Amino acid sequence: MKPVESDHAVSEPDPDADRERVSDLEDVAERQKERIYDSLMQMVTELTGLSPTDIKPGTEIIADLGFDSLQIYELVVDLESTYDIRLSDDDLDKVVTVQDVVDLVYFGSQ
Amino acid sequence: MLNPSDQEFAKSLLRIFDNVLLTEEKALSKGYFSNLSIAELHTLEAIGPYDARTMSETAARLGITTGTLTVAIDRLVRKAYVERYRDMKDRRVVRIRLTRQGKLAYRMHAKFHTLLVRRLLDPLDESEKQRLVSLVKNIDEFIAEQYHKYSEEENAITAKDSGGLES
Repeated sequence: MKPVESDHAVSEPDPDADRERVSDLEDVAERQKERIYDSLMQMVTELTGLSPTDIKPGTEIIADLGFDSLQIYELVVDLESTYDIRLSDDDLDKVVTVQDVVDLVYFGSQ
Repeated sequence: MLNPSDQEFAKSLLRIFDNVLLTEEKALSKGYFSNLSIAELHTLEAIGPYDARTMSETAARLGITTGTLTVAIDRLVRKAYVERYRDMKDRRVVRIRLTRQGKLAYRMHAKFHTLLVRRLLDPLDESEKQRLVSLVKNIDEFIAEQYHKYSEEENAITAKDSGGLES
């Protein structure tokens, strides 16, 4: 008896291809986070008058940059408009550093 | 006549209503948005920080007529808290939305509400929170009911004074 031929050949899992796909996705995420970081730097330097070289991912928004609540909301409103996202006060409570803002915007815009 | 502990409860309730308004007013007058009145702030609240609204839906949210809202919006447009634009799909429809400055005022005001809610709810466990929320909801519904009752009576008197629409 002739064996039934399937249209959908079952391919063997290829760990190398999987690793490559994960690595590609990580690259895309990294690039997106870099873009967010750059636009955040522009907003922060406009608000504070500081130079981008004075600000690092680990710089703290309140302790180091001295943001008051109005400046925090200026940043929030600008980020919401630019990335079409919504940032609640609960979200903001988790933010301490510049990198935290980048991560929050990145996950909010996914 | 209420017994002393119920009298104290009634006084506390009324103090809360008064003090919330007074605190909001003081925060406004001392803050960055001192050219805004509480009524104007509540108009910004009814428009909301994200979506554009029509005049009629905003008026309905505030429980006022579109004529009254138009006057308020004119003022808020002049103060640069609100912008008006014509709907691209239907040019007859005018939409309103908050400007960057309007969104900032909204967020700063909302922060007071967040602080208030957190101060009240954070010390409570989940069942206590649910109980408090339900009790406050009862008060809210009762006051809204009374307000509507008096508003309806007032409308009936106005209609009677003007001879009524049907007669």
